[in-house]
Amino acid sequence: MMALNYAILKMFTKIEEGSVDTVIESLKDHYGTFKAFNKKEIINALMTAEANGLLEESRFELDASNELKVYYRAHEEGAATINKYIKG
Amino acid sequence: MGQASVADNAIIAGRRTSEGAMSGGTTSTVTPAAIVAKKALASSFRRRGIMVALFSGLCYGFYTAFMTLGMSKGVWLQWYGENSGLSSFAVLYLLGALGAATTDTCSALWAIGIANVRGRFGDFTRCIKTKPGMVMVTAAIIGGPMASTAYVVGLQMAGSLVVPIAALCPAVGAILGRVWFKQELNSRMMMGIVICFIASFMIGSTGLGDNVPDNLMLGLFFGFVAAVCWGIEGCVCGYGTSMIDPEIGITIRQVTAGISNLFILVPVFGMIAHVNAFGMVVQSFTDPEAIIWFALAGLSAYGAFMYWYKGNAMCGAPLGMSCNGTFSFWGPFCCWIVLGVVFGIDGWVIPPIAWVAAVVMVIGIFIIAMNPMDLFRKSNEEVA
Repeated sequence: MMALNYAILKMFTKIEEGSVDTVIESLKDHYGTFKAFNKKEIINALMTAEANGLLEESRFELDASNELKVYYRAHEEGAATINKYIKG
Repeated sequence: MGQASVADNAIIAGRRTSEGAMSGGTTSTVTPAAIVAKKALASSFRRRGIMVALFSGLCYGFYTAFMTLGMSKGVWLQWYGENSGLSSFAVLYLLGALGAATTDTCSALWAIGIANVRGRFGDFTRCIKTKPGMVMVTAAIIGGPMASTAYVVGLQMAGSLVVPIAALCPAVGAILGRVWFKQELNSRMMMGIVICFIASFMIGSTGLGDNVPDNLMLGLFFGFVAAVCWGIEGCVCGYGTSMIDPEIGITIRQVTAGISNLFILVPVFGMIAHVNAFGMVVQSFTDPEAIIWFALAGLSAYGAFMYWYKGNAMCGAPLGMSCNGTFSFWGPFCCWIVLGVVFGIDGWVIPPIAWVAAVVMVIGIFIIAMNPMDLFRKSNEEVA
């Protein structure tokens, strides 16, 4: 089992794009009991990864409940960096 | 990335999606409300990053004040006294390293405790043996024992003039961040860094008296070594916390710094000084008068470095490190509050120039954070 932040980043190297909800849905079986496994912390991790060029924003929208949903993807260089540092 | 460009990106991304929707590439459309919400999210993230980085500077100030207080209580009074039997080498290097080791070890214990309470200790053990974890360990050694020792030695040799030299670390970090991690660094940001450096120089210049130290140049050289080491640590660990949670990153940092100070630096200085370093370590940790202040210094150091890493990761090295660089002001300020005002110890009053320097520093940080012309542009847009 890898650290939560690693799993989040690694996930983006395997999918086209995803939002915080995608992360929660994909990782809840393994990380659902982690205290840091909540929307606020995951959004923070995604925005930090974006600020450092590991991920890029692909699109955003307001969902049915008027909540902002930002989608991210790992571009080629970001995915290469993630795979270089995070094995597995 | 500047505030304007974050907002621009939001709009561009929105347009991209709208165009995609029109061409059938995606099913969603971006409403003006979504653009407003996205802008608010981006600016709130950046604002939090700046606040976090500034808070790291304040924590650094308290870390300095409490460590200085701890080193003036109990057994430390005896060690620094005339009849301690310690050589000038031991007083200069060994006591400095012992003070740092006691603080860093207390800080490591705080970090492990907090990681446990906040459910992150498992991730700490998972991260430390990975490649990013080892990079952070290396950066922590460079920024921990290496930089701290260079800084303390520099201070002893050249006095407070070393403070502005060490405050060159944001410039070093910004340049390395540009080269290694392709972070933004433009002429405006460089100008802001220069202004912050001038402010630090104003604070450091207060230590310039009629008696110029004999080892001035060597002391300044050690100050520069500290700046390079902290520059490396700030930019590498700031980037590292985009992969590793900052609370885990700081636990790696403080455990590494505590162990390397306690088990390498102090014994080496002890051997050179021909003193029983082990006995001094035990005394340092068991002196009830001093250890309480080292515990508080350790907690402050936890905040100083954790928020430094987090701020750098959120804002990029140039802005994050410059906000943290306000420790040049917060250091003397917190020493004045804790040592001067609370404990009534003489000699900690802040000279007026330091207050002026604090204002200059804020201007420098403001220039790094955003283009002042954007304020006027925004006003014009609002009028239009």
